[in-house]
Formats: sequence, C-alpha cells, structure tokens
Amino acid sequence: MIDMTTTDIQSVIVPPPADSLVLEVKKLNFFYGTHQALDGVDLPVKRHAITALIGPSGCGKSTLLRIMNRIYDLYPGQRADGQILLDGEDILGPKVDVTALRARVGMVFQKPTPFPMSIYDNVAFGVRLHASKTSAEMDEIVEESLRRAALWDEVKDKLHKSGLGLSGGQQQRLCVARGIAVNPEILLLDEPASALDPISTAKLEDTLEELKRDYTIVIVTHNLQQAARLSDYTGFMFLGKMIEFGPTADLFVTPKVAKTGEYIGGRFG
Amino acid sequence: MTVNPSRAARRKMVSWIFTGACMLATGVALIALMLILWSLLTQGLSGINLDIFTKDTSAGGLRNAIVGSIMMCLVAMVFSVIIGVLAGTWLAEIGGNTRYGHTVRFLNDVLLSAPSILVGVFVSTILVNPFGGASGWAGAVALAILATPVVTRTTEDILNLQPSSLREASMALGASQFITIRRVIWKAAGAGLLTGGLLGFARISGETAPLLHTAGDNQFMHEPLWDIFGMMSNQNASLPVMMYNFALSPFEEANKLAWAGAVLLAFAVLGINVLGRWLAREKKM
Repeated sequence: MIDMTTTDIQSVIVPPPADSLVLEVKKLNFFYGTHQALDGVDLPVKRHAITALIGPSGCGKSTLLRIMNRIYDLYPGQRADGQILLDGEDILGPKVDVTALRARVGMVFQKPTPFPMSIYDNVAFGVRLHASKTSAEMDEIVEESLRRAALWDEVKDKLHKSGLGLSGGQQQRLCVARGIAVNPEILLLDEPASALDPISTAKLEDTLEELKRDYTIVIVTHNLQQAARLSDYTGFMFLGKMIEFGPTADLFVTPKVAKTGEYIGGRFG
Repeated sequence: MTVNPSRAARRKMVSWIFTGACMLATGVALIALMLILWSLLTQGLSGINLDIFTKDTSAGGLRNAIVGSIMMCLVAMVFSVIIGVLAGTWLAEIGGNTRYGHTVRFLNDVLLSAPSILVGVFVSTILVNPFGGASGWAGAVALAILATPVVTRTTEDILNLQPSSLREASMALGASQFITIRRVIWKAAGAGLLTGGLLGFARISGETAPLLHTAGDNQFMHEPLWDIFGMMSNQNASLPVMMYNFALSPFEEANKLAWAGAVLLAFAVLGINVLGRWLAREKKM
C-alpha cells in the first residue's frame, strides 16, 4: 500500500560515476502477493564501496536486499519486475542460474545463522558447493576467511567445535566469514548488528571497513550513526520508494529532499 | 475503576473449583497408572530371572519372544524411518502446501489412528495368504505400516520448527534445496528426528493385533542364531503375542511368563520414551 503522501515527493538520485558501478537496480517493483512493497526503486551500487540503505521499518530496505540475490525465489507468490543489472546482465531474467548468482552475491542475515556443524565446516560449506579443493587449500581458505572476518584469533584453537557454541557476535562474524569464503563480488548485509552488543558491533564494523577493499557491500541498517560511520553512499527509502540516494556525507549533511532531512533529524521513523 | 467485591469473590470461587477439577482428573489418571504399575510389579517381578533370557518359551523362558520382538521391530523401523523421514521432509519442505500435500497429510493422520487389527488383516491378505504362511517379514511390514505415520508426523513437525533463516542462509550461499535439506536442516533437526523414530518404535513394540495373523507364533528360537533371513522367513514369536496366548493359558507357569513379559515390555517402552524425550530436550538447550 503506497501512501498518498509520497506521490508528490520527487526522488533525487545522485549516482556514483557510471564506470564504477557493479550493480544497478532500475525501476524495480516488488509484490508480496497483491501487496506492492517496492515502487519503481532505483539503486546504483558502486564497486568496492559500502552502500547503506536506511529508512523506517517496513519501507522496503530488506525487501530490496532480498531481491538482489533472488532469495525471495524460495517463496511462491512473491514477484519482482524491473531490472537489476549485475555487470550489465539482468539477474531477474528467467534464464539466470540462481545458484551461480548467489555465489556471486552473498548475504548475511539479521540474526546469526550458524549451521549445526563445526566452525571449520561452516566456513567450508559454501566453498564445497562450488569447487573441489584439496584439504590444504581448504585449510587456507578457512583461515583466510576467518582472519578477514576478524574471528581467527578467537576460534583458531577450536575450529572443529560446533559453531553454535560461539557468542552472538562471534556467530555473526562466522556468518560473514562463511559468506566471503565463496569469494562473492557483492556482500549483502541485512541489519547484521541489530542482535549484537556494542563491542561486537564495533568489531563487525571494523571487519566491513576492511572488506570493502575487495568486496562491494550493501548494508541495511536501522542505525543512522552506523550508516554515517560506515558507508560511502546511502539510500533513504520510505514507503517502498527510493526517496534519496547520494554520497553519505552529502545525504546526511545537506539532504536534498525534505523527507530525508526529517528522518535523519529524528522527526519520524 | 471500582471493584465489585461479590464479582471478584465469585471469580475466585470459579477459579478454585476449576483448578480442583483439573487436579482431580489428573489424580484419577495417575492412580490408574499407579495401579497398573503396581499389579505389573507385584505379579511380574517374581517371574523375572536369568532363565527368561536364556531359554525359549518351550522351556519356560522368553528368549525367542524377546529376540523375535526386537528383530521385527528393528526391521519395521528400517522401513518406516526411511519412508517416514522422506515423506515428512516432503510435507515440511517441498510439497506440503499443495493440494496433494494436504491430501497426503490428511491420509497420514487417518493412518495414524487406524485400528491396528485392520493393518494386521490387510498384511495377512497381501503377504501371508499368497506366500503360504505367516512370517517375521509379514509381521515387520504390519508394524512398519503402524510406525510410518508416527515418524512422518514427527518429522514434519520437527522440520517445521527449524527456522526459515537457516534455509535462507544455506540457499544464499548457493546451495540447492536438496543440499540444504540434507546437510543443514536434517542435521539441525537430528535429535528431533531420532526422537520421532524412538516414539515410533515405542508405539509398535507393544502391538499384538497386527502380529497375530502375520507373524504367527513359535515356541523355539530359530537356529542358527545368525541366520536372520531364515528367522524372519519363519513364524516368529513376539512378546505381545506370547502374552496374549499365555495369559489365557490354564497353566500357572504360563501365566507367570506372561506377567514377566509384560514387565519387560512395559519397562522397554518406558525406557524408549524416556530416552526419546531426553534427546528432544537436550536439543533445546
């Protein structure tokens, strides 16, 4: 249900340079059954940068994220139209191999979702799906991924213990390690810190900061400070529309749409 | 807001009466259970000795009935765990929301409460009469038909308890639905699935009716002991059928064996149930 109050808002998109884009969402509509959750959303995503999506609950941020790796495919009755170009190829097309797509576009969820297996096997899980590695190669990938997720030092002596025994923050970093082990081009994070304490959150943010050198990151967050601290670009969504998109510094300091300013200023949301 | 004292008093009174009624009902059930256990122990315990494990029913022991029961139940569980876990998985993960899925679930529920004598007669018609006589295999199939809906139901329930975030996380790494189920969901649900199997086992281990016309009875142990195939192809004794026959016997020795068998069976079922619940509880913590 699109509220009338947004129809008169002109959305303002300030995209990054065209040649730096890795993913482009164009005129995306999304439906849960008959309910329209996204309405003509545009989102340019810059390579090797962190893009944050902010907006009040129910505005469609997570929905948008869940389309980018087609995880919504699991649920009949959900459908998307429009375009999402990944390196120029439309990933919403019927011929797209979603398994291959999901290896290129990884995802970390709101709540930590470690699999009921050892820490090592958690990280190796995705790699084993896509490639056969010798055990030495696998050891290396697991160590490298855990190091990048800033978890290695905490778990190196218990790699073969269950991943379920870790703390919430460690579990979430394990999920990040698991996601980057398959070496995706893009990592989608859906409020990854919302279930974490401040110290774990800080560690996770440091991890993301490190990761953006090699990966493109899109993060949904409720925490405006987090978006301001972390991201290079920010998109503000409201009632299923992309209201404003631009460099984070500009959007937070001099928003071009009044609604953006109201949200950032804490007047609603 | 002002409180009307007479209404409050009435509510308290109703609450008190209701609580009392609940406790009374629980008490009646517990007393019945205690009486059963009491008569089992007083009459059966004296019959428990080493002989019942080492001698056959022909010689005043229960060895052949114990082995027959275990064998038929195990073979039945192999069938029903394979079919039940796959069917339950299909219902929970794949086709449960289709029209066909709803039909399968409904029929499974019907089978869950089907009278066991009907299952016995059915198996007797398709596996005993055409093949020239009762056998352990026929008994195992009858028991499998009874255990399968239990396993199917618990499998579906347990898998539905697994968070969808786990499925999404696996799929988001590029896993197929098959790998997600086999390597993540089944693993997460492992203890619960085992509990389902054990409850199915407990359900069939005391069944008499489906065995009467399918497995028959046998006073002797099949020799040699390791010839399992030969044993299952013959008529097989079982604890429940032995109890049924011996309890009606005019000889006191036979009655005594029936009581001893009842004690064994009751404690085996109790043990399996406790084990099943314990495993299920381990998982939650």
